[in-house]
Amino acid sequence: MEDLVMETPEQTVLERLEKGAAPPPEAELPPARTFEVKNMSIWYGEKRAIDNVSMDVASKAVTAIIGPSGCGKSTFLRALNRMHELTPRTRMEGTVLLHGKDLYSSTIDPAIVRRRVGMVFQKSNPFPTMTVGENVVIGLRLNGVRNQKLLNERLEKSLRMAALWDEVKDDLDKPGTSLSGGQQQRLCIARALAVEPEVILMDEPCSALDPIATAKIEELIYELKSKYTIVTVTHNMQQAGRISDYTAFFYLGRLIEFGPTTKIFTNPSEKQTEDYITGRFG
Amino acid sequence: MIAPKHILGTFDESLSALRNNVLMMAGLTERSLERAMKGLFDRNDELCATTIADDEEIDQLEKQIDKDGVDILLRFQPVASDLRRVVSAMKLSSNLERIADQATTIARRARKLNRHPPLSEMELIKPMYDHAMAMFKDGVDSFVREDVKLGCEVVGRDEKLDDMNQNASDTLVERMAKDPEQLRGYLNLIFVGRCLERVGDHSTNIAEDAVYAANAEDIRHQSQSLAATTS
Repeated sequence: MEDLVMETPEQTVLERLEKGAAPPPEAELPPARTFEVKNMSIWYGEKRAIDNVSMDVASKAVTAIIGPSGCGKSTFLRALNRMHELTPRTRMEGTVLLHGKDLYSSTIDPAIVRRRVGMVFQKSNPFPTMTVGENVVIGLRLNGVRNQKLLNERLEKSLRMAALWDEVKDDLDKPGTSLSGGQQQRLCIARALAVEPEVILMDEPCSALDPIATAKIEELIYELKSKYTIVTVTHNMQQAGRISDYTAFFYLGRLIEFGPTTKIFTNPSEKQTEDYITGRFG
Repeated sequence: MIAPKHILGTFDESLSALRNNVLMMAGLTERSLERAMKGLFDRNDELCATTIADDEEIDQLEKQIDKDGVDILLRFQPVASDLRRVVSAMKLSSNLERIADQATTIARRARKLNRHPPLSEMELIKPMYDHAMAMFKDGVDSFVREDVKLGCEVVGRDEKLDDMNQNASDTLVERMAKDPEQLRGYLNLIFVGRCLERVGDHSTNIAEDAVYAANAEDIRHQSQSLAATTS
């Protein structure tokens, strides 16, 4: 299993998604799009949470999803790594393509999808019984990596990428929960980075953080987008304006408007978008 | 179409106060320009003095609008049409202040001209004033009514004012050579013409900002193509 973690995301994604199938030639990959979502609808029981949404997610860019509570933005985010399937009585229609491959194909292993498409949640959730170091490499250990040298290398690399190494390098054996809230959130980002995903989904990653911790996460997102595709849900309009390249506005489960962030925040095409971002909604 | 109110009532109040100050400043600037030109045409020193004295109030309003605009940016972090309106209002106030400065300069030149016998060449200035004042009024109107078409038309009119100023200036230079005794008077008229030409430039800026506020389109530095499309 060690070779699994030694590969770069670009080399491995298709091999991992399609069990046993040879990867298609690189020329067939759409270079600028990581996800292509087509006619996605999702139901929780009888309730329709997402209503016929189609949009592409650009590679190595930050896409922000905004909208009022209950508009379906978190559901949409979770559908990008099949996390929503963990909720009982969930049903989905439509397709989600990751580099042209159907994420919901019967040949795709959801666990591998979630490894390639990592997730960071609203509330930082380090494993309470584990140390800082164990929290970072737990994903690798669960994947069978036992080589301590490799684990140590990946530990430092992930913490450095999460801009946390300098702050915790002497406290790797302390409980993950002993860190501050902002540090815990960056620890969770480091944990997501350790398995070398190609996409990071973030569900309101700064909503519980103070302005300094928020600034560090935002700076980190900016740094990470050169290597990763990032999709983030946020209620903070200013944050969406600061960190994202593209913005999607959801309302009542529908995608109302999607486009470059500068356009959405200076001259949105849809009145509903304008009313929401200018605070005229409700 | 009237935009629905913001959830934050204080945001609406702040935007409204900013807009009202811009409108008041525009009104005072228009009055100053009118008084300066009337002082020139009617040889009325008192109107000229009033124009010069009123400039202080306009300067203070410019500072107030800048302060209110920064305050709104800081407190409410506006986006989309709100952001465009705040930015445009702040830029508008700067142009209004400069137009008022031109009115003050005209008033000062008029007082100098009033000390000497009237010049028949004053007739060269009248059409320029009418043109510049119409540009100014329509520029402000395009902002108030968010009228993109009118804003574009105003921008297209600036070239004509430039030509009028050039022609008047050429004529006055010729007269200087023929009648050196009136050299100071002709020179003052040339300066008045230049002030009106500057009023046209600032009115153009106002119209451009009005278009940006209305539909986020940046039409600056496209005057030739606009003139072609609006003529």
